[in-house]
This record gives sequence, structure tokens and C-alpha cells, in this order.
Amino acid sequence: MSEYFDEEEEKQTQLSPQTLRRILAQTKPHWKWVAGFMASAAVVSVLDSVFAYLRKMIVDDAILGGNQAVFAQALLLYGGTILAQAVGVFAFIYLVGILGQRIEYDLRCAMFDHLQELSFDYFNRRPVGWIMARVTSDSERVAHLVTWGLLDVTWGLLNIATAAVFMYIINWRLALIVLLMLPILLVVASQFQKRILSEYRRVRRLNSRITAAYNENIIGVRVVKALCREEENLREFSELSGAMYRSSYRAAWLSALFLPTVQIISALGAASVIGYGGWQTQWGTITIGGIQAFLSYIGFMMWPIQDLARVYAELQHAVASGERIFSLLDTPPTVADKPGAVEVDNIRGDISFEHVYFDYDPETPVLEDFNLYVKQGEAIALVGPTGGGKTTIVNLLCRFYEPCQGVIRIAGRDYTTLTLHSIQSRIGVVLQTPHLFSGTIRENIRYGRLGATDAEVEEAARIAGAHDFIVKLAHGYDTEVGEGGQLLSVGQKQLISLARAVLAQPDIFVMDEATSSVDTLTEAYIQRGMEALMKGRTSFIIAHRLSTVKRADRILFIDHGRIVEAGSHAALLRARGRYYQLYVQQFQRELERQQDYFLAAEGLHPTTERTESTEGI
Amino acid sequence: MSSLSPTTTAYDLKHAVTSNRLEGLWRMMTGFRLPYLGATVSLAIAAGARAAEHFLLRYFVDQVLAQELFQKLWLVVVGFVALAALEGGFSFLSGRLAAYTAEGITLRLRNYLFDHIQRLSFTYHDHTSTGELIERCTSDVDAVRRFFADQAIGVGRILSLFGISLAALLRLNVRLALLSVLAVPILVLMSIFFFKRVSRAYEAMQEQEAVVSTTLQENLTGMRVVRAFARQDFERAKFQRDSWEKFLRGRHFMTMHSLYWPISDTLCGLQTLFGIAMGARMALSGTISVGTYLAYTGLLIWVIWPIRNLGRLIVNMSSGLVSYQRVIEVIAQKREPLTEGRYQPDGDVRGELVFDRVCFTYASGYRALDEVSFRCQPGQITALLGSTGSGKTTLVSLLPRFYDYTSGSITLDGVELKDYPRHYLRRQIGIVEQEPFLFSRTIRENLTYGVHRKVTEEEIEAAARAAAIHDEIMQFPKGYDTLVGERGVMLSGGQKQRVAIARTLLKNPRILILDDATSSVDVETEHLIRQALQHLMRGRTTFIIAHRIQSVMNADLILVFDRGRIVQMGTHEELLQQEGIYRRIYELQTRVDVELEKEMAHVGVL
Repeated sequence: MSEYFDEEEEKQTQLSPQTLRRILAQTKPHWKWVAGFMASAAVVSVLDSVFAYLRKMIVDDAILGGNQAVFAQALLLYGGTILAQAVGVFAFIYLVGILGQRIEYDLRCAMFDHLQELSFDYFNRRPVGWIMARVTSDSERVAHLVTWGLLDVTWGLLNIATAAVFMYIINWRLALIVLLMLPILLVVASQFQKRILSEYRRVRRLNSRITAAYNENIIGVRVVKALCREEENLREFSELSGAMYRSSYRAAWLSALFLPTVQIISALGAASVIGYGGWQTQWGTITIGGIQAFLSYIGFMMWPIQDLARVYAELQHAVASGERIFSLLDTPPTVADKPGAVEVDNIRGDISFEHVYFDYDPETPVLEDFNLYVKQGEAIALVGPTGGGKTTIVNLLCRFYEPCQGVIRIAGRDYTTLTLHSIQSRIGVVLQTPHLFSGTIRENIRYGRLGATDAEVEEAARIAGAHDFIVKLAHGYDTEVGEGGQLLSVGQKQLISLARAVLAQPDIFVMDEATSSVDTLTEAYIQRGMEALMKGRTSFIIAHRLSTVKRADRILFIDHGRIVEAGSHAALLRARGRYYQLYVQQFQRELERQQDYFLAAEGLHPTTERTESTEGI
Repeated sequence: MSSLSPTTTAYDLKHAVTSNRLEGLWRMMTGFRLPYLGATVSLAIAAGARAAEHFLLRYFVDQVLAQELFQKLWLVVVGFVALAALEGGFSFLSGRLAAYTAEGITLRLRNYLFDHIQRLSFTYHDHTSTGELIERCTSDVDAVRRFFADQAIGVGRILSLFGISLAALLRLNVRLALLSVLAVPILVLMSIFFFKRVSRAYEAMQEQEAVVSTTLQENLTGMRVVRAFARQDFERAKFQRDSWEKFLRGRHFMTMHSLYWPISDTLCGLQTLFGIAMGARMALSGTISVGTYLAYTGLLIWVIWPIRNLGRLIVNMSSGLVSYQRVIEVIAQKREPLTEGRYQPDGDVRGELVFDRVCFTYASGYRALDEVSFRCQPGQITALLGSTGSGKTTLVSLLPRFYDYTSGSITLDGVELKDYPRHYLRRQIGIVEQEPFLFSRTIRENLTYGVHRKVTEEEIEAAARAAAIHDEIMQFPKGYDTLVGERGVMLSGGQKQRVAIARTLLKNPRILILDDATSSVDVETEHLIRQALQHLMRGRTTFIIAHRIQSVMNADLILVFDRGRIVQMGTHEELLQQEGIYRRIYELQTRVDVELEKEMAHVGVL
């Protein structure tokens, strides 16, 4: 459903020659293909003019001149030209086609590559849809420009040039008259194309809004019905669809007007050829075949003009696409390996945050002079209100971000002197909303350690407590999880992501506990899996459950970027501070929930109230 | 032309439902047939003008040049320009009429579908996936549009061009004309053969494009996982593999094209060559004039070359037919009558409800409610307690007639519920769902979404204050004009719920249905929502779907559900007296306090 993002960013930018050059440079590795298609396009367009010239020969020399030898020769040449042209057409379509696909492939891979390096601050500022549009549609548009666009320009210019040469050979005065029309045609065509293209862009934008409107009306149909909004919604929608109607109607009739306009202008050219040429036949300066050839050449000159105008109109947008692509590629990752960064094979050891300052934007500091010392193997629970800074601490530890000031040390070394890979490959992370990739459960667990055998995968699942539910599924470990894991419940996804972390055998374990309620049985499984992972490892848990909190060696109550309270469970309770308040509230709620007759009845399945209506199926 | 708005041509698309797809498309054109006919006729006139140009050329060569009638030259020139203008004018007219038709039909279809969707029954929506329905309303509608805009008219264009050019050729010379179309049947078959394969290759390519897109999207949304496991190289390899497959499929698609065009070019070229050779020989032998020969070679091109595109259009037309089928399947579904009802009261309901042996069975055969009987007085609070699937949600869905009960009777103020028009009932009932759905509009628009009258700024604010959401709204930079959802501010579950409460307050219904959802929000929010709910329930007949006993204690009537039946009924006090589920649940409560005390003692707090 991600194909309709509203912002297509179709702003008209100044044509930057550097960007255009850089776009053209994309073809460099494949210059042989480019040379090949340009050469074959050239051959094809020259041969087009040859056809017309041969037809002139047949009329003038064979029919009017009665020269049988020329007739046979012309027919033979004509046949040969057909075959030669077929080869040329094959070559340029094939070469342009695969070149376009190839350049799209190159650009997409380059962008994807770079996206893997870019830091989280980049992703936080841009919606996924925006980045996707860069990788998918912008690359397509740029590839189109350097292939079909380049082809149209080559072919068009050569067509005009060869037609001009042949016309010059036949009758130069007449040739001049025809050539005079070119600029007029060029202006008309480019004006048309500009308007048509901008109308089509409006159509596309409206189209994505219409899709969004349908989407919302379907998803929200219950609310629409409950609030009796049908008429009002239809009225709103018909405004939108009416705008769509007007834009697409206008685009369509502009296109319908364009061709006849070009035709009529060329007809004026043809008429002057007939008039002037017909007059000239009196003195024999032009033949009947010559006039026929001229009529063909006018066509050869006029049609490419449309293509050139279209390429010109598309050029601006392709360059804008190119600019966005290059700006993505040129963005340096803010978190990257320092020169001389060391790859280490483990990151066991004490961890310390020393005078750490951090903010996502300078106006709202998140951490100020934050200090923390964690011993190897210690289990830390982070608790406190949302937005207090718990997630930031974990993000910094994983080096998704780096401190703005201050140092984080692992085993005594400033962690920025290590490679990102050596840190991140040794940290096992389980996120609050577990992310799975489409594929089977087995593939998803194996993501933790790519070389793991099936037995190891299953062992990890057993340790994480995921094995039991997996084997109960119809296809066991080979069950497809669906896009983003949508075929599984939140609890199931969390168990699988735990198994994934188990398999990775990390030195540091980081978990953001889910707040959403899972049923008691799943909950118990998750707890067991977490326990297995925390054993002997330095662990950081953003905790929402009391059992987790109690298991920790040390609890940090974080608020406003500070450690408000720290200590063991018992010590903090005795202090009767904010942790105590939180604990009492949470204790009541959890016990209620655990022992609630109704909640206990819910099983390890994706359950929402809505399933009630489809339950019998 | 543009003043002629196509919305005025009211036509109920329901009548376009038929098993014959071509006939269905024809019916869909109701109101647009005349312009469409005009488009086709214009095409023929344009083709005729083009053919006439070649006759003029013959006149020019054979009369003006051969007989040196140079004083007639201006006639030829003027005639040529006039014919070109005629051709251009009519092909423009045809394009414009075709666009008017296609866009008009599409507009009507879009509006109809949009309205249709919101009037289809819940039973339909329960069984239809959103993606599927959207697909039908967008891609399939667009395919139908292309059928009218490009394919149907395109085939018409090619055929009329072919027919009229052929007729012109026949007038020039019958034998020559027949010899010129020898390749046409081969060309038609070949183009259909090729384009069937081309469209398969295209689909394969698009499928892979979707795979690439999914891989990319999953990588971007799962970036934290990718980084956390340092799996960048693995992801790169995966993306490269998928993209390379796309490249290969794209190459296959282009190879099909790069074969078709030169082959068909050669075929057309050879036919042209053959025609030129025959024509020239006839001209040499004097069977035809030079002018005829020139007109002939000029027309020859218009007979043969357009045929190459025929296969593409025909193959694409079949996808238009498939899409028509998919769209019409949605249209064929019955709408829910919204305003029909035997009883049409003027004022508001009082809110007295009597359930008498109500049963409800879903279309799937699942019996969700079994002989449910109870009554509630206006302004009373009724709580429904039970596990998931016990029938609570189904029961409240019957009140606004989202579903109609299968047997038994429900009366509202003494009148059978089925006699009330659905719209009337729904205006009397307010629903706050567990996970309320907000629309991607501003907060203000969301608040007034269900209100069918002008609402003042003060009213909106008062409702938001009562729902304990005003202060939070004011913290957004744009306040009430803040956009909600993906393109705006993402609200938390608790915030959404309070917006929904405020929305319902503004709607001011007599009957209230609350899906108690305080279990999924944090403690402070829970408190706020409770307050807001208290405000909302005042003076309304209220149904609470409860998940926890705390939410039901104050209710006037508590119904305990199990598998579609009411197993216990009464007030909190009454139910505590009885042996049963309710008391067992309640007793847990006291255990909580004991446990907490034990816990505290354990760590030495007490």
C-alpha cells in the first residue's frame, strides 16, 4: 500500500549542467552499449531518408525516365535497406532496453548500498515512502532519460540532418523554405509538452489522493456508518474526483490537440512544396519524384520535433530526480567508522557513559551530563515515563547515534575507536514492535547468525521459548510470516525475535519490552526467553513488566534525561520514591490482568475484539 | 463541451451488471454513446480527408503538372491545406470526444464505487480484504478507463484508417489494392501472438518490481534490526539478487519488443516494396498514371503500418474486460438501505431497550448470540462482561443495525428495532471503540466528523475539555488544525481515544456504546479517560463492553456472557451474593492487596 505518497516533489529546478553531466556519466561503464545504440539509431534514421530517395529514383528514373536498369537496382537496394534497417531497429531497441534496465539496477543498488551506511538521523527526518520513491521512481526516470531520451535526441537530430542534406541535394531553395518552419514547430511543440506534462503530474497527484480516500473510506467504514457520514463523504469525494476529471480531460484533449497542430503546420510546409515545387517543374528544377521525396522529408523533420520537445520537457524532471538521487548518495553517514577504527572479536567488559550529552535537535536536549557505569554481566532495567530518555540511552549504547559530547567506553576503550560492525554484530537487540522480514520463521531466526544450522535454529527457538508454538503451526519452521510478519501475533513475533537474538550469541543484550498486552501464556514464554538471554550477559532492558524489573541487578528510574533513582528493587522500594509509586500501580494492574478470568481465556493467537465477528469461519 | 458536466447524466450503474462483459461495458457507456459515436465518425472523416489528400496529389501530378495547368496550382495548394485542416480538426474532435467519454464514464464509476463501498453491509466488509477492494477501485477502474480512452477508440482508429485507405486504394486500382493487403492477415495474427507474450513478460517484470519494492520497504522499516545484527551485507546481497532478477525480466521484456518491431517492420517493408514494384510496373506499362502511382504509394503506408499496433490494443483490451468483471463484482453487491424503515420518528429516542430471546448467526453459520433477553431503562448503564468471542461486541453491533438479528425481538421505546431506518438509529447512537479510527484530517475535522450541524469553536473546545484532551491538543504547534496520521501527528492510543470521546460528545447521542479500552494505556492516561467517560455517560443509555471488573461495578445492570449466552445478570451487589463467575473474579481483587502487602514485607518496606 506504500505506492501512494502524496509528495512527489515535482518541483521545477534550474537545469544544472553538473547534474546533467553526472547523470550522463552513469552510462560510462556501459559506453559500448551507448555507442552501439547511438550508431544503430543513426543507421536507422539515415536509412529512412534513403527509402525516400529510392522512391524518388523509381518515379523519376524508372517510371518517367523508363530506365529499367535503375528500376531493378532501386528495388534491390530497397529490399537491402529494409533488411539493414531491421537489424538496426533490433539493435537499438535491444541495447536501449537493457541499458535502461541496467542503469536503473546500478542506481538502485548504489542507493541501497548507501542507505545501509546512513545514520538514523537521516531516516528519522524522512518518511519511508519518500526514500522509496527515490530508489524506485527517480532511478527509473533517470534511466529513461539516458536511454530513450538520448535515443530520441540522437535519432531526431540525425533524422532532421539527413533529411536536410537530401532535400538540399534535391532542391536547395525548397529546402530552405521547409527548414524555416523548424523553429516554429519547435516552439509550439515544447509549449504543448510542458502543459501536457504538468497536467499529467497533477493527474498523478490527484490519483494518489483518490487512492488514499478509498483506503480511508474502506478502513474506516465502521466509523463512517456509525456517524452517518455517507452523503458528506460522497460530496467531498466528488470534489476530488471532479478535479481529477477536469485534469485528465484537459490533459487528454491537449494531447489530442497537439498532433493535429503539428500535422497542420507540416501541411503548410507540404503545401508550399507543392505550390513552389509545382511552379518550378516548368523549368525542370524539380521533378515529380523530387516533390514526392520532399513530402516524405517534411514528415521526417516534423515527427522528431515532437520527440525532442518531449525529451526537453522530461529533461527538467529527470534532472530534478537526478539531483535527489545524488543528494542521497552524497549524504555522509553521521555515525561511521573513524579512520583507524579497530575490529575486535568481542565487546565484553564494563561499560561506562561519561558526561554524555545528546540531542536529536539542538533545541531539545535529551541527555545532559549523563553518567553510568555498568559492570560486565550486570542486568540493568530502565524504567520511567515515556520520553524520559530510556530509548536514547539504548540507541547510544548500540551506537545507532553517537554522543554529541562525552564518551561511552566499552571495556575501557572509547567505543568510537571500534568499528561499527564489531559493536553492532555483538549486540543482540529485541525491539518493542518486533520487525520480521517476509520469509519463513526459520529464515527470520537465522537472521541472527547466517551460518547457523537448522538444529541450531531450533535450539535457539527452544531456548527463547518459541519452539512450542512454532511446531504447532501447519508448516512449522517453514511457515511464511507474511510481509512485516503480519500473519503472526505480536507475542509470536516477539518470541521469534528473541530466538533470533539468542542465535546471535551477543555479548550485550538490549531489549525494549512490549507494552501491548500479550496473553499470560505467551508472557511466560517471553520471560523465560529473556532470562536465558540475560544469563551471563550485560543486559539493558527497557522494562514494562515487574517480573523483568525484579530480575535486574540494578534499576534506573529515568526521567528528563537523568537517573532519578537507582538501585536494587528492594532498595528502591524502601526509598518510597517514584519507583515505589510506579511499582504499586503496576503491581495492581498486573495482578488483576494475570488473574483475570477473561484475559486468561485468550490464547496464543492474534486476537482483537474484531475477530469476534469472523470467529466462526 | 466542458460545460457539459458528466455528473448530470445520472445512471445507476447497478444496471450495468450483466454476465456478458462486452454488453456490460456498452451499458456502462449509457449517456455517453452519442459523443462516442461522434468520436468514431470524426475518426472516419479525418481518415477520409487524409485519403482525399492523396487524390489531390494525383490530380496535381496528372492534371496540373502533366497538362501544365499552372493557373490551377493555387487550387491544389489551398485544397491541400484545407484537407489537412479538416483532417486535423476532426482528429482533434475525435480525441476530445473520446476523452470526454472515457473520463466521464470513469468519473461516474469512481463516485459510484466510493458511495457503494460506504453503503455495503458489514457482512460484506467483514469478508473482503481492504487491499483487494482498493485494487478494484483504483487499478481496475483505470484499466476500464484505458479500455474506453485508448483501446476501444484505438482499434476504431486503426480499423477506420485501414478501411478508408483500403477503399481509396480500391478506387485507384482494384488489383493493386488487393495485392497491397496480402500481408495484413499475417501481420494481425503475428501482432496478437507477440503481444500476448509481451504482456506476460511485462507482468512478470512488474511482479518482480513489487518484490524489489517490498525488499526495500522491509529493509527501511527494519533498519534498526538490520543494524543491530550488522546484516548490511546480507541485505545488500538480497537486494542485488532481487534487482538483478528484475533486470533479467526487464531484459526479456525488451527482447520481445526488439524482436517484434524489426520483424513486423520487415514484413511491412516487404509488402510496401512489393506494392511499389507492382505499382511502378503498372505505371511503366501505362495501366495507371504517374499520379495514381504516387497516390497509391502514399496510401499504401496507411493501410499497412497501423496494423502493427492492432495486436497490442486487442491484447490490452482483454485486460480491460477482466477489470470490468472485477469492478462489476463489487457493484453487484447489495447496498444496505439507510433511510428505509416503517417507523420514522421526529424527535430523539428515550432509550428504553428490551431484548427478547435474541439470536444472531453470522453468515458463516457461527451462532454468536443465543436467546439473549434483558431490558434496560433510559439513562441506565448496562455492562457486558465476558471473554473474547462471548458475544459482547456482536450484541452492541445489533443496536445501530450493523447486523440484523436472526430471530427474537429487540424493541427501542416499544418499537421493533427493524422498523427504524438505519440512519435514524445511527444518529441516536454513539460508539467509542477500543482502538478508535481517526481520519487523516485535522483534529478539528475529526471532532466534528459525525456532527450534521454547524458547530461553534466554543462547542468544540468544550467537548475537548470534557474529554480531557484540550490541553494536549493545544500543545501541538497548530493546535486544533494539527493533521492527524501519517502525514501529521501520530497520536497515542490514549489520545485517540479521548478524541473519539470528544467526537461522541459533540454528536450528543441518546444511546452510548463504549468499548472499554483502559487496559492498553498507561496509568495516568487511564485516569484521564475514566474521567472523560464519566462525563460522556451522564444521562445516556449506555452499554459498556468491559474487560475488567473495575469498569462495571457502577453499572445499573451487569450481564455476564459466555459463548453467546447470558450466564449471570444483576447489579454488582446482587452478583456478589450469587455463587458464580462474577464472584470468583471479584475475589481476585482482594487477593491483589494481600499479595502487594506480602511483597512489600518481603523486601522489608513494611
